[in-house]
Order: sequence, then structure tokens, then C-alpha cells
Amino acid sequence: MEAPPVTMMPVTGGTINMMEYLLQGSVLDHSLESLIHRLRGLCDNMEPETFLDHEMVFLLKGQQASPFVLRARRSMDRGGAPWHLRYLGQPEMGDKNRHALVRNCVDIATSENLTDFLMEMGFRMDHEFVAKGHLFRKGIMKIMVYKIFRILVPGNTDSTEALSLSYLVELSVVAPAGQDMVSDDMRNFAEQLKPLVHLEKIDPKRLM
Amino acid sequence: MQREEKQLEASLDALLSQVADLKNSLGSFIYKLENEYDRLTWPSVLDSFALLSGQLNTLNKVLKHEKTPLFRNQVIIPLVLSPDRDEDLMRQTEGRVPVFSHEVVPDHLRTKPDPEVEEQEKQLTTDAARIGADVAQKQIQSLNKMCSNLLEKISKEERESESGGLRPNKQTFNPADTNALVAAVAFGKGLSNWRPSGSSGPGQPGQPGAGTILAGASGLQQVQMAGAPSQQQPMLSGVQMAQAGQTGKMPSGIKTNIKSASMHPYQR
Repeated sequence: MEAPPVTMMPVTGGTINMMEYLLQGSVLDHSLESLIHRLRGLCDNMEPETFLDHEMVFLLKGQQASPFVLRARRSMDRGGAPWHLRYLGQPEMGDKNRHALVRNCVDIATSENLTDFLMEMGFRMDHEFVAKGHLFRKGIMKIMVYKIFRILVPGNTDSTEALSLSYLVELSVVAPAGQDMVSDDMRNFAEQLKPLVHLEKIDPKRLM
Repeated sequence: MQREEKQLEASLDALLSQVADLKNSLGSFIYKLENEYDRLTWPSVLDSFALLSGQLNTLNKVLKHEKTPLFRNQVIIPLVLSPDRDEDLMRQTEGRVPVFSHEVVPDHLRTKPDPEVEEQEKQLTTDAARIGADVAQKQIQSLNKMCSNLLEKISKEERESESGGLRPNKQTFNPADTNALVAAVAFGKGLSNWRPSGSSGPGQPGQPGAGTILAGASGLQQVQMAGAPSQQQPMLSGVQMAQAGQTGKMPSGIKTNIKSASMHPYQR
């Protein structure tokens, strides 16, 4: 059964459906410095923030064809920070006027026994990676520039290898459902990064 | 007559303002050269020169304007010469000419160039006449050719340096890398734990009929041990415990138990 698009569903149950608006691109390693300088100029004035995160993706295969995916992320360089559990729905396609990828998003902060809990629930870890990079903010927009590292020995985050010679650049906004003007602001911001990085909405299903 | 007078006045005003601008910029340039000569940079000097040349250009344009009457046809005759101070004149000339006397008038109302300048001009005209028309033409042509060559060289250099700067900038991102990274983040393509969807096949034998719950469990166990990394172990014990718990609790509803066991959610 096709679920109706989340943006049309009313607010029920006391929680507002949050949507993640996403634009992605990449930049080669040698152009990273110029991109960082440009972002420092364009974004809100704050200390440059770097992060080192370990993300694990858990799947629950049920009777339905498509498994249920949850993403658990923990910070490797900030001790004591809570784990972050995230659910991302299917991207809503079809609206050509919308300039960003839109998908339902639920974010939860959890304690450290998240993986045990998920395993007990029946989830199985599908893949994991380490993300290392920089974080910028502009208003409600969040810009992440990070490199993805493949973990060679499962569970051992020290033995990592970079996946490619590029950094992934993501421009994302988490906003309540129905605010499509957000995607216009995102597109305007993306224009300012234009010759260095092309941020665009990339449909992951096309890359399967 | 009146129209001409009005035109004359208007053009005189325009000329006055232009000349005043020129004087100001000259003055500031001289000040700059005299007082800031140790800090002066070539671009700044170039700027001043450009300003002066621009102003001279506009002055020329004003003079060539069709509405300007020929000043050549106007004659200025001093009517009264007096050695007394003239306040009006002082005001109008910003204090430079206090007296309209016979010392001042020849300098200010002069129409002929200086004698030295006149000499030089005469010299130049005799030289030019001496060379002869063809030689003069050839000289003009060679000058034009050299100028155009120089201009071409400069513009070519400019164009090349621009495009040379553009080329490395174009490769700041690689679309193939973008796709690979997005696929990795979206569903783990290229990361070591990614398994293709064909591995759901081995899960099929785990569907037992009635009374073969344990057999089914062991079958499942075999399947899991075959292909799984070490993380699956804690989950495995959980599967076994859950199934044992189910069979222990409700012996009467064996069928329903078997059903739930056969279609258990841990199946691959």
C-alpha cells in the first residue's frame, strides 16, 4: 500500500512531521581549502567545527519487501555526547519545482547502549562507516563537508581507508512539513558555491 | 543674437566647471607627488594620470560640442586697467589675481604661445615639410603597425592567462565521485559490509512444517553461521531463546507457534 506523501498528512499524535531537505555534491581533495574558505565567508561566523563520527546502519527485514532502516551515529571525538538515532523515509519525488530532495526525518538522541537495544529488537547491522569533516551553519541550513572512510575490520574504527579522493558536501535543512520555500533558499545558497561544487538533488534509487 | 549669447554663456559655464575639475585633480596629484612620494605606488600614479586624461577628454568634448560657438571668433579686450585691488576679481579668481593691471593682463589674455614653444613648433613644422609626403606616410604606417602588434600581443596574453586560470578550476569536483559517495551514504555501496540482495536465498530452508521448530532453528543456525560475520552471534542466541520461550509457554497452540516461528522476523 502506498503511503500518502508525508507533506499532506495532518499533524497528529502530538508530533510534527519533520522533513529533511537535502542537496548533495562533492569536492576533490585539492579544492577542499578553497571550499572551506568560501564557506567560512558565507556561513555564520563561528569557530570552524570539525567532527569525527562513526555511523552504523541497521536493517530490520520483515515480511515486507523493503527493510526498515535506522541509522545510529556516535561521535568519536566528543566524549559524553549522546548517540544519535535517525530514521529517514523514502524521498518524495515528482515535484519538479522543488529543488531539494525531501524525505521524512525523525531524529532521536539516545544513550550508549543503542546498538545492544537494536540488536535485541531484531535489527541487523548492514554497513558502517566513519565520517570525518567540517560542519558549517547558516541560519537553519547545515552544511557538512566530510570524507567517508570504509571500515576494514568490522567493529574496529581504527583501521579505516578513504572511500574516494573527494569530500562529500551536503546542504541540509530539517524543517516541519510543508515549508517548500526552504528549498528556494537552499538553491540560492548552492548558487554561491557554484563553480567549486555543484550541489544538486541526487536520487539514491538511480544509483542502485 | 540672443540665442548665440545664451549658447555662449552656457558653454562658458560648462568650460569653467571642467577647467575647475581639471585644476583640482592636478592640484591633488601634485600634492600627492610632493608629500607622499615615499609611499606612492605606480597604480596610484596611473590612477591620477587616468583621471587627468579623462578630464582632458571631457574638456575636448565640451569644446567640440555642436552647441559651443567658435571661441576663436570671440575677442577679449581689456577695457580698464587699474593698479588698485579689485575685490570682485579677487573673489572670482580665488585670490590669485588681486589687481587687473598692465602686468597681469599680457599673461592672462595672451593668445600666442610662449616664444620657446613657438620656436619648437616652427622647427617641427619645417622638419615635417622637409621629409616629404611619402616618407611621412611610411613613418605613419609603421607606427600604426607597431601599435596594433603591441595591442594584439597584450590582448592575447590576457586571454591566455584567463583561460589558463579557468582550466584547473574546472576540475574541483568529480561527478563520478559524487555518485559513489552518495550511494555509499544512502545504502552502503562500496563499504565492506555491503552484501548483495542474493543472500536472502539461503534463508528459505528455515521454514519448517509442524513439529520441526528446533530443526528449523538449527537449520537457521547453519545458515547464519555460514555467511555471517561475528556480530551475528549475540543476535543468534536471542533467536534461540525467543523460540524456546514460545514453545515452552503455549504447548496447546503449537500450530500458531509454529507459524510464528516459521515466519520469524529474523529470517533472511
